[in-house]
Amino acid sequence: EWTAEPVSTGTTIMAVEFDGGVVIGADSRTTTGAYIANRVTDKLTPVHDRIFCCRSGSAADTQAVADAVAYQLAFHSVELEEPPRVRTAARLFQQSCYRYREELSAGIIVAGWDPRRGGQVYVVPMGGLLLRQPFAVGGSGSSYIYGFLDATFQPGMSRSQCQEFVARALALAMVRDGSSGGVIRLAAITEDGVERTVLAGSDLP
Amino acid sequence: MEVGAAPPPFWAGGPAPGQTYIPRALGHIDIGPRGTGTGPATLPAGRTLSPMVTGTSVLGLKFSGGVMLAADTVGSFGSLARFRGISRLLKVNDSTVIGASGDLADFQHLRQLLEQMVIDEELLGDGHSYSPRALHSWLTRVLYNRRSKINPLWNTVLIAGVYGGESFLGYVDMLGVAYEAQSLATGFGAYLAQPLLRAELEREQDRDRLPTQEEARELLERCLKVLYYRDARSFNRYEVATVTEKGVELEGPLTLEANWDIAHVV
Repeated sequence: EWTAEPVSTGTTIMAVEFDGGVVIGADSRTTTGAYIANRVTDKLTPVHDRIFCCRSGSAADTQAVADAVAYQLAFHSVELEEPPRVRTAARLFQQSCYRYREELSAGIIVAGWDPRRGGQVYVVPMGGLLLRQPFAVGGSGSSYIYGFLDATFQPGMSRSQCQEFVARALALAMVRDGSSGGVIRLAAITEDGVERTVLAGSDLP
Repeated sequence: MEVGAAPPPFWAGGPAPGQTYIPRALGHIDIGPRGTGTGPATLPAGRTLSPMVTGTSVLGLKFSGGVMLAADTVGSFGSLARFRGISRLLKVNDSTVIGASGDLADFQHLRQLLEQMVIDEELLGDGHSYSPRALHSWLTRVLYNRRSKINPLWNTVLIAGVYGGESFLGYVDMLGVAYEAQSLATGFGAYLAQPLLRAELEREQDRDRLPTQEEARELLERCLKVLYYRDARSFNRYEVATVTEKGVELEGPLTLEANWDIAHVV
């Protein structure tokens, strides 16, 4: 019965790095069982000015962890007196996700830009592993697009190519996965800032 | 604890006489799981009861002059080959390599512990470094103690090294079971690769020697190929670590060539 189901961001999330930043994207559906609790969710959560996380798994768990990490990063950044590294943010996520692995249901992709290493994508899947990848996908919808990604991904894509790649991949996943849908939220994070776009309805590839 | 307060019960969380026994983890705070107020208690932080991203077999073989480990580079998320570029072999110091199968988040945790240990030891600057046997012993204690707290590190680890002119190959698993042998394999490898490794060693034993480095390398690659054919969670990219008197050499990622000729015959 739906009241017993946890609210989940059954999802498709994705992040790709390019020279100068990252492109991140997510669908916008939050489900409790088969009911869509929120059809315009924002799963791209900032944890710092140039560092975002894409959340999949339990909505409550991921929001709680993201809030905690955002707080820790803010503190750390003040102490450091410079923008925090993406790797630090990812490591903070990993520490919480690994420590509480049996209690949490959280698959997170951390992506952003920092002055030291440029655009980076880190994945913290369930279980609390930390891995850096040129691109990462997560969430229930990701299963349906592994083939597409393997066939289409090429290293060294430009920013606009990455945006198109992410949009196409997410659209394909959203069509096939019942737990993903709604609009595609994209964000491009670079040194100059964060540019957010929404692809809805007829804009979807 | 305040002075005069009663000591905590010796067996905390045990069954109340006459009541249904719902096992509760020792010493945890009673928080109901999400969504419900009652029911079996959730477990304390960090307990690995279900491995998530896992690695499959690791193979180990002694040869004349050293020891060799081999493992593929995939992290499986159930049946999905999710992370295809993960290294499961770790160079601990100039005389030891370890290879792990099982939960890779736990392996990363082990890796951090080991790297810190090695750094602390270098800082001591006394010229001593951990021997493979010492590391094997340490790992055994850590894994056994974790299992005794019902909080295992869900890994099976092979330790390979050369120290003081002697080569060492040891095995520890998540229960703390530990032993040494001339050839070892974890996971599927224990069923498929071990017989091949042992057969080769017995053949060599008749001539009173261990295989050469090239022979060992060829044998391990042959075993990896068999595993690739028959283990559904394997991958054809792998790494090899060789430890000799000269030190540790980590090669990879290399790709296996598979032979599908029999497909035309069948």
